[in-house]
Amino acid sequence: MSAPLLSVEHLDVVYDGTITALSDVSLTVEPGQVVAVLGSNGAGKTSLLRAVSRSLQPYGGAVTGGTVTFAGRDLAGTDAADVVRRGLVQVPEGRRIFRDLTVAENLRAGGFTVRDKKARAEARDRVFDLFPILAERRDQPGGLLSGGQQQMLAMGRALMVSPQLLLLDEPSLGLAPLLVDQIGEIITEINRQGTAVLLIEQNAVMGLRVAHAASVLEIGRVTASGTAAELAASDDVQERYLGVAVPVVATEVVEAEPEIPTAEPPRRLRVEGLTVRFGGIAALREVSFTVEPGTVHALIGPNGAGKSTLVNVLGGAYRATEGAVHYGDDELTALRADEVAGLGVARTFQNISLALEDTVEDNLLVGRHRLMRRGLVPGALRLPGARREEREHRATVGGIAELLGIAHLLRTPVHTLAYGDRKRVEMGRALAARPSLLLLDEPVAGMTHGESQEMAETIRQVRRDLGLSIVLVEHDMPFVMGLAEQVTVLDFGKKIAEGTPAQVQRDPEVLRAYLGASAAGDAAA
Amino acid sequence: MSYLLEQVLNGLSYGLVLSLIAAGFAIVFTSTGVLNFAHGSVLLLGAYLVAVLHDSIGFWPAVLVGMLGSALAGVLINAVLVRNLADKKPDTAAILMLGVDIVLLTELTRRIGNQVLTLGAPWGASVVRLGDVSLPTGRVLAAGVTIVAFAGLWYLFSRTDLGVGMRAAAADGPTASLMGIRLSRTAATGWALAGVLAAVAGIFLTSFPAPGVAPTVALSAFAAIPAWVLGGFDSVPGAVIGGLVIGLTSALVTGYEAELEPFLGRGFGEVAPYVVMIVVLLVRPSGLLGSKEAVRV
Repeated sequence: MSAPLLSVEHLDVVYDGTITALSDVSLTVEPGQVVAVLGSNGAGKTSLLRAVSRSLQPYGGAVTGGTVTFAGRDLAGTDAADVVRRGLVQVPEGRRIFRDLTVAENLRAGGFTVRDKKARAEARDRVFDLFPILAERRDQPGGLLSGGQQQMLAMGRALMVSPQLLLLDEPSLGLAPLLVDQIGEIITEINRQGTAVLLIEQNAVMGLRVAHAASVLEIGRVTASGTAAELAASDDVQERYLGVAVPVVATEVVEAEPEIPTAEPPRRLRVEGLTVRFGGIAALREVSFTVEPGTVHALIGPNGAGKSTLVNVLGGAYRATEGAVHYGDDELTALRADEVAGLGVARTFQNISLALEDTVEDNLLVGRHRLMRRGLVPGALRLPGARREEREHRATVGGIAELLGIAHLLRTPVHTLAYGDRKRVEMGRALAARPSLLLLDEPVAGMTHGESQEMAETIRQVRRDLGLSIVLVEHDMPFVMGLAEQVTVLDFGKKIAEGTPAQVQRDPEVLRAYLGASAAGDAAA
Repeated sequence: MSYLLEQVLNGLSYGLVLSLIAAGFAIVFTSTGVLNFAHGSVLLLGAYLVAVLHDSIGFWPAVLVGMLGSALAGVLINAVLVRNLADKKPDTAAILMLGVDIVLLTELTRRIGNQVLTLGAPWGASVVRLGDVSLPTGRVLAAGVTIVAFAGLWYLFSRTDLGVGMRAAAADGPTASLMGIRLSRTAATGWALAGVLAAVAGIFLTSFPAPGVAPTVALSAFAAIPAWVLGGFDSVPGAVIGGLVIGLTSALVTGYEAELEPFLGRGFGEVAPYVVMIVVLLVRPSGLLGSKEAVRV
């Protein structure tokens, strides 16, 4: 075998001079190989890619030990712009396309380092072959593309330099099952055309399907590595990442039950004939459904089906064009977002919306806002009553953090947290508001199978203890099917199916529009 | 009628010069996130170089030196000061720029003293007549040059790799560097462009009908701030529209001061741009063409 294309040896990475993200990590990628890296949130997967692409610095990170060698040359002392010129390019987590630039301009920016006009035109033709939709929409701003198309644009943009090694950070994040399959096929095709790929993927099923070799990263260390087949066969990987093992139903009793605020009893949520238009485009068309008090109701459907729009109307961020939403006797569609929150409706956001510079604790305290009784002046003067109230609120959010498994992160600024941990902080902030109705927009995006199982358990416990209603948008089907009592399926803004998880899973229309062939196989099995 | 037309044409040409300055503010802001309060003294530096050099090396070479001098000043401010800030917050950089402005302006004031330097522009005090409307040649030239400059900027930003790279870097720096775009270069290019635009604006602001180069010219950059804010902090086309609106407003209010005086008093022409800016911001908080905060929730 020839020398490896990429060789990472004994790599250490530290953020802000103190927080260790990686220690003694070694990994190789052979020419023409696809290597997957699995691991939970905060395991250091993104840090590993950043160390390889030399882009740690804007995030306050630095390589403190070990080496990264690419195509026989040590990358020490090179910067992000240099490594691109050597044929190593990274697609960042969350796609990060340039929203105001057109598709064609995004690709042009991607090919910035390619000076030869002919080589660039060839690369662009290859990208358009791989992603015909990008050719169709070349003159539209990137921000108008759907989530899946944005992922394709992000990958196409990276392929403009015809790299020897492509680094992909969570390409399937937030995508519908049908699209995840498609992205997996595209990765295989890119690899077939001669590009090696280092892939980070929380969807371990897809990751191990496309990869030749894989490593598992846990708390900054490599705990297992081997061929994809070996790892897929290992019990530990099966249980934590693939979800092959029987899910544990019985939960152990939590010692010292954390103190969670109890809510007002939930009310019935009725969505009636809801239509939302943006300019001429109807994001939702006459959607109606009811959420019974104390139940978990899931909204599923392809990217761009209008699920987040619906959550945004429920939370008061968007206005309804027609129709109404009632929560008990109150009409949510007539209220401002803060008034909706005042009724005990709390939400999380698909595109996480946290104060990045502040600590986890401070972010959670924001959720307590509607319950804070002391005003600005007593707070500023630190009067005894205000201090007592603050202590109580801190104790409450401490309990919530414990419940969500982020208690050890309370003093950590949010910007250093991994994606899935940020999702937990958002959920904690929503719970801190003592809601009776909780709106969760993709609560387990970016989590491994094991983590999403834990999250499902937490949500079950929260609902059991607090008796609240939950409306849930999520693409992780095992998660949805294990948790929801009722499911509403949207496609192109219309309701196409409704029922229990079992009913919906068998619905031919849902299989066609959303779940795709692999799910059909599962359902038949 | 011809008086009105004259005021409108005057206002438009003045507005185009303001939009050159406003575009400089916008380019520096998008490429480095800095509110460049030293823009006025960089503008004065360009005009000053032309004024002191035109006798010895001729007007056009002096213009070239003025543009290069302003561009270099911008590049150095960015490379030596802004890039080395320990605390990279926008407010810190803004205060730094206020300091730079004071230092540069004080030095230029010391050199100029209380004289008014002439620019030596070959068009002098000549006037162009069109029917019964007459305009200073300098103003007509200013309009022409500005339009050419903006055509050039449009070409740069939409048709060249460098320009597309600059827009990518402005939109998301860390991601742009993953494409191999060097942020230090796009930033330097932005500062240099802003410097060149400032020098050109400075030349037109100090030639006839203006008396010449004096330290107060640096303040004229502040007159472009309403134009910049009005157009939207981060938009070059917005800066053009903002400049035109502000130029027209102040020309018309000043031109009809006698008629407005009974109820607005004297000197309202200096206030009017800010009134327009506030009214526009009440209706459109992110300016006419500025990008809104990312609102996809």
